[in-house]
Amino acid sequence: MSSILQPHLAASTPLRTVPVWRWLGGLLLVAVLCYLPVVLTDRAIFGMRLSNMQLLNLGMSQINLMLIAMLGALSLNYLTGCAGLFSIGHAAFYATGAMTAAITGTQWGWPFSLVLLAAAAAGSLVGVLAGLPSLRVRGLYFVLSTLAVHQVVVYAFLEYQFRFFDLVGVPYNPATLGPVELNTPMRWYFFLLPVVALVYWGLRNSLRTREGRVMMAMRDHELAATAVGADVRILRLKAFALSSAIAAMAGALHAYFMSNVTSEAFGIDFAIQFIAMIIIGGLGSLAGSLMGAALWLLLPSIISGFASQAGDTTGLVHLLLVEHKAQLVQLIFGLLIILLLIFAPGGMAGIGQRIRELYFARRNS
Amino acid sequence: MIAQVLFSGLALGSIYGLVALGFAVVFKATEVFNFAQGMLAVCGAYFAVTAISVLQLPFPLAVVFMIVASALLGVAIHMLLIQPLAGRSMLAVIMVTIALSIVLRAVIEIIFGPQGRTLTTSLPNGVFQIGELRISQLHLAAAVVSWLCMAVFGAFFRFTSVGLLMRATADGHEAAVVSGINVNTMNRLAWAIGSVLAAIGGLFLGQLQIVSTELETIGLLALPAVVIGGMQSIPGAVIGGLLVGLIEQLSATYISPKSSDIVIYALLLLILMVRPWGLFGQRELGRV
Repeated sequence: MSSILQPHLAASTPLRTVPVWRWLGGLLLVAVLCYLPVVLTDRAIFGMRLSNMQLLNLGMSQINLMLIAMLGALSLNYLTGCAGLFSIGHAAFYATGAMTAAITGTQWGWPFSLVLLAAAAAGSLVGVLAGLPSLRVRGLYFVLSTLAVHQVVVYAFLEYQFRFFDLVGVPYNPATLGPVELNTPMRWYFFLLPVVALVYWGLRNSLRTREGRVMMAMRDHELAATAVGADVRILRLKAFALSSAIAAMAGALHAYFMSNVTSEAFGIDFAIQFIAMIIIGGLGSLAGSLMGAALWLLLPSIISGFASQAGDTTGLVHLLLVEHKAQLVQLIFGLLIILLLIFAPGGMAGIGQRIRELYFARRNS
Repeated sequence: MIAQVLFSGLALGSIYGLVALGFAVVFKATEVFNFAQGMLAVCGAYFAVTAISVLQLPFPLAVVFMIVASALLGVAIHMLLIQPLAGRSMLAVIMVTIALSIVLRAVIEIIFGPQGRTLTTSLPNGVFQIGELRISQLHLAAAVVSWLCMAVFGAFFRFTSVGLLMRATADGHEAAVVSGINVNTMNRLAWAIGSVLAAIGGLFLGQLQIVSTELETIGLLALPAVVIGGMQSIPGAVIGGLLVGLIEQLSATYISPKSSDIVIYALLLLILMVRPWGLFGQRELGRV
């Protein structure tokens, strides 16, 4: 009987050991991520030329846009997947960030780093305001209130754009960090990559704190979370503030990267694409949001690569790949979301988890 | 001037009310918040285009074709997408309807091309004048048909036995199952009705403007209409639709053409803050 009470581990062993292969894997990942832009810029790997299709028709600007979208997907997954607040108006925070960047950067001439901070601050403010209805309404009604907030913010952006600029859109200064101007895709990449890594790492760790765990408890069962002493109202607003600050920063980055945005860029489709990313990647899985954003941003350019290959085919393939490329991409994404929702609710992260479980079950038996 | 604006507001509002009624029927029966309702209206308009321009059917037959096709579409959506997601979170169901509208839009644009089509029907097209007021016969026809459809479906739910079974199913699935009602059939019927109502709205919207996938945004005005009216209330959906039509026309005329959406959504936000259950809905009691 006493064996039950005896600890399985000696007191000196750490609870969680990181095996050597994980360290090596991490190093390898960093090396690959640092070498990737070189491959994509030179179109060659270790001096060996690669054709466009071998590089999947990818270019640096898609990779950079993907990194920016990853920030948006991470922040939305934090809000929806981890805090359980479904927002259909996440583009509003992007628009807030872009608008703050236009006011502080383009009009007042603040430096880029300050603009990003201002965007994050304005984003969290709007986020708290957008989260206010969550104190009163639940579920479906709350989803609709985020939709309404989205319309209000995008309208404000539209009015702002036409008052101070014109139809062409809001222009942004070139982004400079101290002495370095972010004027090449490579420089953008090495600026965005650490930002994404930092946000990912920060959110991941924040979910392991007491507050993060209470937040997930709130998602799973609000009443139970309240019963253990969590103030769910404050927690909701905090989740909103953090998530929308990140999204607004991503919006400012997006605006600076594109160097010109219009209010139409932040329509409802823009918001829906982030929901699609986190559904594809897996709700509640931060790593999944990275995968979802990567798929969402890179698949269109891979398909256009195929389209340029299929230039002289005829019939249905030609019709789909060449004439209706944009529609084909939408069709594939729509069907993918439907199939994932029905057959794999956990998204790509859920599929990965299942494969891992199968592997360990076989190895242990 | 004001009478003119009120008339076109009420006429457009009747169409929104019709689409919103379809939405409310689906929501009451299956608790699905259908973001594809606007796209179902677009599908209806394109079914009409198919029947009239491609199949060259006479107008009455074309309407029958459109109604049958959209009813089948509604049933197929319920069987293929909604039923497999039974018992899953609200998020999954909302997302599947959003994905559905993405797929439908892509399919329509692949088949018909992204540019719009004109719809030529034998609906009256002229204008007649009463004093200052110019009344477009098409607007009038749209309003009359919408009210007729609402009356027919109102009577259907109120007086027929199938309508009674559907109301019973919407009230409580378990109780309906125990009483021997085939709940799935009833839900499919609700989806068929919702889809047909959207399609009739789409037919008129496509006739008033041009048929293109852009009509979806107009059809989506059914969402605020339903919430303003009260999601659990069928008459509320109709009145919400009328309100949205009136507000849209009034703000477009007196404030600015771009402002109509924002006024509607500001009202939606206000309603959500003050009376989340809508003007005519029943207050949901808090669960403990």
